[in-house]
Amino acid sequence: MNRKLFLKVIVLILILVSINEIYHFTLFKTDLQRHCPMTMQLDVARENADVVYFAESSNYSYAESDSDKRSISEFTAQYFPGLKFIAIDTGAVHAGIYKKWLSYLGQKSKAQLIIVTLNLRSFNASWIHSELETALQKSIVLLENRPELVNRFFLSLKVFDNKNTKEREQDFLTRWKTDLIEFPFPFKYKTVRQWDSTIGTDGIKNEKGEWDIKKTDLTAHYVKSYAFTLRENNPRIQDFDEIVKWCKSSNKKLVFNLLSENLDYADSLVGNELCWLIKNNRDFLVNRYRNMGVIVADNLEAVRGIDFIDQNWTTEHYVERGRKSVAKNLADSIKKIFPEKFNSSN
Amino acid sequence: MLFNSLQFFIFLPVVTLLFYLLPFRFRWILIFVASCYFYMALIPKYILLLFFIILVDYISALTIEQTRGKLKTFFLVFSIASNLGLLCFFKYYNFFDSNLESLFRHLHLSYERIPLQLILPIGLSFHTFQSMSYTIEVYRGNQKAERHLGYFANYVLFFPQMVAGPIERYSSLGNELKKNNTPLYENFSNGLRLILFGLFIKMTIADNIAPVVNQVYENPSQFNSIDILSVIFLFSFQIYADFYGYSTIAIGCARLLGVNIMDNFKTPYLSRSISEFWQRWHISLSSWFRDYLYIPLGGNKVKIPRFIFNVLVVFTISGFWHGASWTFIIWGFLHGFFFLLEKLIGIYFSSSKKSESWFLNGILTFKTFLIVSLIWVFFRAENLEKVKSIFYALIHNKSVAGEQLHYGYAWIMAIVLLFSDYLFFNSRFDKSMVGSPSFLRWAFYTIILFGLLTMSGVEQYPFIYFQF
Repeated sequence: MNRKLFLKVIVLILILVSINEIYHFTLFKTDLQRHCPMTMQLDVARENADVVYFAESSNYSYAESDSDKRSISEFTAQYFPGLKFIAIDTGAVHAGIYKKWLSYLGQKSKAQLIIVTLNLRSFNASWIHSELETALQKSIVLLENRPELVNRFFLSLKVFDNKNTKEREQDFLTRWKTDLIEFPFPFKYKTVRQWDSTIGTDGIKNEKGEWDIKKTDLTAHYVKSYAFTLRENNPRIQDFDEIVKWCKSSNKKLVFNLLSENLDYADSLVGNELCWLIKNNRDFLVNRYRNMGVIVADNLEAVRGIDFIDQNWTTEHYVERGRKSVAKNLADSIKKIFPEKFNSSN
Repeated sequence: MLFNSLQFFIFLPVVTLLFYLLPFRFRWILIFVASCYFYMALIPKYILLLFFIILVDYISALTIEQTRGKLKTFFLVFSIASNLGLLCFFKYYNFFDSNLESLFRHLHLSYERIPLQLILPIGLSFHTFQSMSYTIEVYRGNQKAERHLGYFANYVLFFPQMVAGPIERYSSLGNELKKNNTPLYENFSNGLRLILFGLFIKMTIADNIAPVVNQVYENPSQFNSIDILSVIFLFSFQIYADFYGYSTIAIGCARLLGVNIMDNFKTPYLSRSISEFWQRWHISLSSWFRDYLYIPLGGNKVKIPRFIFNVLVVFTISGFWHGASWTFIIWGFLHGFFFLLEKLIGIYFSSSKKSESWFLNGILTFKTFLIVSLIWVFFRAENLEKVKSIFYALIHNKSVAGEQLHYGYAWIMAIVLLFSDYLFFNSRFDKSMVGSPSFLRWAFYTIILFGLLTMSGVEQYPFIYFQF
């Protein structure tokens, strides 16, 4: 009986291994394209790109009035005509996703340089616990370091961070209530919740002294987006740290492209304190990663308020002039790695 | 907890292992704790409702057994009223509230609605019906009242079938739960076969059909008649695969613990008439209504008008049991209507007179499937407006579809389901496998495993019957 059972277990294991192999050669590619569409671009980048640019919507967003609608990566590539740039970009992604993409790209890829956007807002609680996170997490299940068959079945079983909108909302509301904001000077609000509720209660008044609802909403949104103190335990920091490690172990050069935020509006709507926080968080990131040997292109103040596409919301979408400024700044940073490839005439 | 979750794949082996490791006298505690945990993984606080049902019916049954006359009847009524009261409050309150408002408005009277934000406890209709069957049987003298509260609680709570049936009788499940089972190879192999097959039916077939059905039901006006008709048929397969898959997994899980629970389906779409369909579809519910409503009303041993009344009442209430909406009521009524129509039209449509002609059988089977599928529209649509728009789009063919519908894959899945029904006609996957040559068995396992592991649906579709 025991011998028979043992034999059956062996047969079952053999069947599973065979199914895994058959799956790899048949349906896996289709599943990747369906559930993780970025892998198609990553496959192309693996064989062809000298520089891979990982980004969210900041890269490709443009204003209808722009005469040149090219992306930041395309503007940057102009400065390096001898290097093939390929952008891997889609909306709302962050370092937690980039690191999975990198691992799929593979250490043996042709790419010499990896550029990753460093988006300050992606460190805030509402982005970390965004409702879009479930879809993003789902999109990387097939890229996990497990047998492909297991990944496929886990995708069906929803074995990923699979929270619904309500649960995620609860998560960031808790964080707004409990995460302390630190200032080196006395400040009346200790949390986003306190700060936001005062804005909500007092409101922002217009010239006539009337409550300006739009302005109040926008002000509150700026606070929710930027009022946090970056610490090492922020999950995004851990993701960026892993990216640094991966690039070192893969012998790839790495540049972080710290994106511009609308400091003009943050200052005029909320005040100096919020700008101080944003700059302090920028300093934290720049110092941390420069100390790790990463080149950080600091674009935080590179784009003026009027050069942001969305004037009534917080995004990193720039008009042509803004994208060109960021690209120029980024190119100057890349020049340190490939001085011989830099062509300033562009 | 969902059967198609990693959590359950860990839970089940742990419970099975502990079950056989524990001495017999402690096993009921394990089943009780495991069942509570299983239920509380969904909405924890609603376990209190189950405890309420258990206590009321446990005490009622004991009292019914020890008393006579009016007091005995009083406790039966008390038990039924408590169960139905709970069900009515959570499931039907808002339905009655909104319909009363409409009625009052129609009569030009004022009515102040008090809508409540109620979340229907998962499987409440199943628990209450199962528990009620126990007190009714004790009242009828067919069942001795259970003295052990733990065993009775496990009868109501038994995790494999607690949220969507099959609705078991105490005479069968109660006794099964009291058996001192030893770990038998046969139970494990059959249990695992059924779980594997059930998961395949649910995750690979139902969950791959669901997106196509949802796409059309969201916006029927965007599709042409062929698409609509296709989806009407596909929903028949989806709901069957969904519920049949669940029931098969439930039977398999129980089997691992040495517990036998009843079959809920017997290839229903191969039925030649509506009455045969109801002998093959959701058998535990049909037999519940037969034993506790249809027969007490007089069944078919009455004059024709009363028989028609009995049939329509039973089917309509059965529809209402599914959901608090006019769509479910009409769904039930229509089944009753076609049941009667077939009876009245006569012998050619009667399942009792079996024809030898495969052609005639084929026609009758397709006719039944067509009727059932068209009536499913009422079951699937959220409201009567949606029903109207589905039938409107079906009749008024839109020459160019507004949206692309890719239903080829869904149809392949539906055909696989039909093929499996044909293969296991009047049998069950595990039973069919037992007598087969080993190479054939393993070939089946390989195909099913491949389908399950590599082709299962990736969207989140909870079991449809969980909502009831």
